[in-house]
Amino acid sequence: MKKLNKFLKGMAVSAIALTSVNSAFAADPITILINNSPWYGGFEALVEKYEAETGNKVNIDRTPYSGVLEKVRNSVRGDTSPYDLVNLDNGWIIEFYSGGFLTPLTNIDPDFKLSDEIIDNGEAIYWNSEKQWPTKEGGKLMAFSPNGNAHMWYYRSDLIDTPPATYKDILKNCAANHNPPNTYGAVLRGERGNPIRFSFMPHMLTHGGSILKDPKNGDFTITFNSPENLKALNMFLKIHNECSADNPGAIGQGEMIQLVLSGKAAQAGIVIAAQAQMDNPEKSAVVGKINYAQMPYLEGGSPHGVFGSWQMAVPNNISDGRKTAALEFIKYFISEKAQTLYAEAGGIPIHTGVLRGPLATQEKFRWMKPYAAVAENATQVLMYKEGAEVEQIIGLRLNQALIGELTASEALNVAAKEIYNVLAAAGRDTKLGNSLMIK
Amino acid sequence: MKNFTVKKLPSLERLWEFIDSHFIFVAILPAVIIFLLFTIYPAIELVLMSGSSITFENAELIREPALEKNIVKFLDDWIFRKALVNTLIFVLLSTSIEMLFGFGLALAVNELVRGRGIVRTTMLLPILIPPVAIGSIWRLMYNSEFGVINAFLELFGIPAQQFLGSTSTALLSVVVVDIWHWTPLVFLILLAGLEALPEEVMEASSIDGATYNQKLRFIIIPLMWPALIVAFMFRSIVAFKVFDQIFLLTSGGPGTSTEVISLYVYKVFFQQNQLGYGALLALITIGIICSYLAVFAIAQRKFTGAK
Repeated sequence: MKKLNKFLKGMAVSAIALTSVNSAFAADPITILINNSPWYGGFEALVEKYEAETGNKVNIDRTPYSGVLEKVRNSVRGDTSPYDLVNLDNGWIIEFYSGGFLTPLTNIDPDFKLSDEIIDNGEAIYWNSEKQWPTKEGGKLMAFSPNGNAHMWYYRSDLIDTPPATYKDILKNCAANHNPPNTYGAVLRGERGNPIRFSFMPHMLTHGGSILKDPKNGDFTITFNSPENLKALNMFLKIHNECSADNPGAIGQGEMIQLVLSGKAAQAGIVIAAQAQMDNPEKSAVVGKINYAQMPYLEGGSPHGVFGSWQMAVPNNISDGRKTAALEFIKYFISEKAQTLYAEAGGIPIHTGVLRGPLATQEKFRWMKPYAAVAENATQVLMYKEGAEVEQIIGLRLNQALIGELTASEALNVAAKEIYNVLAAAGRDTKLGNSLMIK
Repeated sequence: MKNFTVKKLPSLERLWEFIDSHFIFVAILPAVIIFLLFTIYPAIELVLMSGSSITFENAELIREPALEKNIVKFLDDWIFRKALVNTLIFVLLSTSIEMLFGFGLALAVNELVRGRGIVRTTMLLPILIPPVAIGSIWRLMYNSEFGVINAFLELFGIPAQQFLGSTSTALLSVVVVDIWHWTPLVFLILLAGLEALPEEVMEASSIDGATYNQKLRFIIIPLMWPALIVAFMFRSIVAFKVFDQIFLLTSGGPGTSTEVISLYVYKVFFQQNQLGYGALLALITIGIICSYLAVFAIAQRKFTGAK
């Protein structure tokens, strides 16, 4: 009888203990909307690890890039979002931040805070609603990033001994290796729209150029047709025309990565997301031959990185329980341990402790240190409501300069006028800068 | 015991008589209601949107009047004008060549005594392939580095061509894909038309000693006229709406050389999130297609004398 009592007591204690454990840790199942990408494998592996470690359930809706935006719009504008976390390209975030569709993470848990080691994508994960600007200063934490995705300079280490740094190095390497159609000295994206606009930004910034004077503080004076930008564009066109393939105006990300993977490009400016393919023997003819540097800069200057970042956020239109469950996942995702697993599985960590830690010394992760240097200092551009329209203007005019329909100065001047028209119509404090009509 | 007779109520009787006398209208009423709900209402919504500026704040839709602003923007929108020109070139080129090839193929296959079924089935394949796959396949085929077309040209010593990367060839290259994709449809419509031609007329012309060219000119083409018009109209309308092929092959570039109306409306509406202005462009596009069809119908009547 004593034994039976003991057994029953033991069972009761175990049952209570199990119930309390479940109520403390079990979160609602969550569904994540994420784009298909070269780093998706890392994300999926981390989700599986999270499920195994916590017992929480995560569903993933993996969607091609072109379908993500409309899925997010439809989900957050409806009564109840089917997604608990939505992944947003940096070009889209202003629409969702300013539209009030997302829940600040500190509204879910007021004590939640990101460590200083987490890359904040040039503060793109914060939103100051008063200022209508993504900034930590007075802003609320709106998202976390599964990939900062800044631009890097990829180069063939079997052809180029010293890591290229300045434009002089780039052009020297180009001259030494440009032998079309077998090898191209350097390849950049030139396709109309986002590809060429995004590709041009690091060159613009390192030349001291900008699109607008000080939009963060409300000064939308047009500076896109400045002499600095003209120099930047001339350099950009020079690399395209002297070092790239014959059709630079049609080279998108896919073509550029293919040229590198097939061993036809000696150098290329590509976002870090593509590194996962470089050492994959099933896809790459240059396994172990690609190395990474920061984007090129002028002699005596410094490199400038630009984010093509992803931000993952919690929609407003879901229950508090689901919001809490989403935050549980975020807390796990940004931990150093999870970030290490993420990197090992092919993801791009956003934890500088991982990017600069023991993993970075391994050959497989040789991209980490240069990427850390870029990501810690990279910036965002076009962080205003009219950004998508401005991108279309710049993306078209730069492409026209590249294919010879406009000269460099014409492209900048026309784009400047068109950007001015868009911003003026939107009621921004804007004017055409003094540098207008550069020749 | 009283006898009760069932009598229709006067109002029900009147309703029954009304239905009986207006049966045709009553029968089509459900279809009309569905049409109104799913066509007219969205059209009205589109008209209302086209005169508005639509934004979101605090997760609420804010609609403000902006008709004048949208019209001014449209009048200043050179990309739309360029897209319209490109679309017209695309429609005329692709549809004309598809009609020519489709009719030629249909005439040739119609002469086949054996194997017509196999040819017909084989010709169906391009129509069955999803547009996304077509875009990917042709993009790869046109690739200057890895493409099979350039590899073929190199066999004859012709240097690699930038089919999609050059402003002078990009639109033509897209037209070629459209011709490959849609000629089989024209072929099938016209083959069905040819097979339905009255045999007696053809036999009589043969007995009269008519050559094939004479039969084609004086018998086949006049009798095939309705089928030709249907095929042309159908292809024109679909060609006006071309989107997927160009989106996948060139995204409208290089420059604006392959920008077409549907693609541009998509960019304004979905990428730039300008819902009001996008609606205006959509409305104008509908107007242009309707005008095209009206002009075509008038020309056809004048040409054929049909009423």
